[in-house]
Amino acid sequence: MRDPRVARLGELVVNYSLGLQPGKVLRIDAPPVSAPLAIEIYRAALAAGAHPYVDLQLERLPELLLAEANDEQLEYVSPIALAELEFVDAITTIWSESNTRALTHADPERHQRLISASQQLAKRRWQRMSAGELGWLGVLFPTEAHAQDAQMSLAEYERFVFRACHVEEPGDPVAHWQGVREELRSRAEALAEARELRIVGPGTDLKVGVEGRRWQPADGRYNMPDGEVYTSPLETVTEGEISFAFPALFHGREVTGIQLRFEDGAVVETQATRGQEHLEAMLDMDDGARRLGEVAFGLNYEIDRFTQNTLFDEKIGGTMHVALGSAFTDLGGLNESALHWDLVCDLREDGEVYADGELVWQAGRFLETATPARV
Amino acid sequence: MSERLRRLADVLVGYSGRVQPGDLTVIQGTMNVEPLLEELYGAVLRAGGHPAMRCAPEVEALLLDEGSDQQIEWLNPAELEDIEQADVWIVVDAPANTKALTSVDPERQGRVQRARRGWRERYLERALAGELRWVLTGYPTNGAAQDAEMSLAEYEDFIFGAALLDDGDPVARWRAFADELHRVVEFLGSKEELRFVAERTDLTFAVGGDRRWIAADGHENFPDGEVFTAPLDESAEGEITFTFPAVFSGRQVDDVHLRFHQGEVVEATASSGEDFLREMVALDEGARRVGELAFGLNEAVRVFTRNILFDEKIGGTMHLALGSAYSECGGTNRSALHWDMICDLRSGGEVYADGELVYRDGRFLL
Repeated sequence: MRDPRVARLGELVVNYSLGLQPGKVLRIDAPPVSAPLAIEIYRAALAAGAHPYVDLQLERLPELLLAEANDEQLEYVSPIALAELEFVDAITTIWSESNTRALTHADPERHQRLISASQQLAKRRWQRMSAGELGWLGVLFPTEAHAQDAQMSLAEYERFVFRACHVEEPGDPVAHWQGVREELRSRAEALAEARELRIVGPGTDLKVGVEGRRWQPADGRYNMPDGEVYTSPLETVTEGEISFAFPALFHGREVTGIQLRFEDGAVVETQATRGQEHLEAMLDMDDGARRLGEVAFGLNYEIDRFTQNTLFDEKIGGTMHVALGSAFTDLGGLNESALHWDLVCDLREDGEVYADGELVWQAGRFLETATPARV
Repeated sequence: MSERLRRLADVLVGYSGRVQPGDLTVIQGTMNVEPLLEELYGAVLRAGGHPAMRCAPEVEALLLDEGSDQQIEWLNPAELEDIEQADVWIVVDAPANTKALTSVDPERQGRVQRARRGWRERYLERALAGELRWVLTGYPTNGAAQDAEMSLAEYEDFIFGAALLDDGDPVARWRAFADELHRVVEFLGSKEELRFVAERTDLTFAVGGDRRWIAADGHENFPDGEVFTAPLDESAEGEITFTFPAVFSGRQVDDVHLRFHQGEVVEATASSGEDFLREMVALDEGARRVGELAFGLNEAVRVFTRNILFDEKIGGTMHLALGSAYSECGGTNRSALHWDMICDLRSGGEVYADGELVYRDGRFLL
């Protein structure tokens, strides 16, 4: 039995996010648990005249590989996988999992080697993506595991996910996302005028320099759902303190009640109600880990709650997030780090943001006067 | 079940596929066989190989239903990479619904078969050159059990029994069985002509010259247990009635009766599915000829289960395939088709080799 919401999501991914053209080759990477969405994407790609194929990723294989492989097997990169990267025109990754904590006890050193080995593939993929030769989209199909992390029933979580993608109700999701694209572009252009942002909220008064940096609208081309504008701030300007209301997850470990104080762009003081050690360890990873690589506004108001999944959390309408660690070089960012840890700050109740001293955002929304005239 | 699956995976990797350290091993199957795919992945790792998982949902019916001609004929370059680079290829064939393609236009199925022909030939060419070892196996699913008219538990027993896995040392059992099959091959190898006689069946083939018999002893199919050859292309003469339904590409044809003259089908009838039968026989020039002739010799496979992997090995049966021949037998017939059809010889069937009765009621009189 087809779920019309899943069918709409499949069409949205193919026709809006990927903009798939006839004759193009689409690989759909998906775990079996997400097969209903994989099949809808496949169907929509057929209707678009493309050549889709599904590569099911069995979820237990990484665990088996980590447990059974010798070093040579662990570091092996398949020549077929490399060859495949040369002819695919687009890839969709469905991130769904049946158990989001399956690798919690995996040997971190071996896990790191496995990730390093896959960098050869990841690097080539990014190369072709930045050259505009390869389209890519990450999306999620609701599963019990993600519902559990979100503390919802599966039915509730399905509504949450499909609302966030704007496919819950019949209608024209493509038109909706085209509207989002226009709006986010205007926001990005307006923000590009600002030299300095001051973020004020509970336990938060932070100054961030953004002069000369480009703002990127995240409009559903690489992620679905989407809805943020982001940039990489100046590396040595960040000053003041910030509190994060939502627990921060990194590599499956949770840190709650985080407070950070910045001086001259670097974190100089940290506090956490839980997981302080993990937080410190992350910040000590390398030189760049103490500086911000990203500052962003979450603008998807159909995402209204924290669900322990960055794909959704960083887009919650009315929040801001910053990331400690690596910056986006294509936006003018310079900070380098092995870390990129998104921390979400809730500004929906009494948050304020000032751009060069002028109030532009209040209680989780941009003020209309601050928006460009053409929106 | 999981203990048996692990044993099945170990035999497939260690005995059938003979995976060596460093071997690039493609593991191919659909998502309903995930437990066996996982066991195979682990077994390949333990053997020192590099497993490449090719797991896909069953989208063939969707593709044939909604795809354009160009889309259904499209060949995935990734698959060609597999065909060119794999050292070992393990296929688990167990659809969730064995009849999903029943209503598909046969012309479209023919189109797919024709499009895939070149790659299929390349795959077999590498296998023949000893560069690629492949093995096809089954898996107990409700769909397969339903076709066999069994419960899933009964069907599991059937499969693992046929695979001789309940034995303490399955690999030793397979080696002993292989010796038996090789003795039959040696015997048949000295014969020039075979004549099959059963109800509404009297069919003669020439099997001499440069043709060879091969023992199917668990290396390319698993479970296994047959001896097969490619008869001379122009030799089939007479008629044959297939006692079991003939199943191809998800379609079933009942009571197939074929009449051959000078190696070619000159009359093809069936009580149901006759249109599909005719479409397939007319697929190309080689589809009218017999590409394979074989004896099923696995005594642990007794009943018809509508799965060719098992049915063609039923001890006491013979089968022939319309279409492409295996070149390792010295066969020369080329076709996009290879359709096995089975005739039960267990009650009253006889086979004469060069005029001498050598087989009766499903057993060789050796």
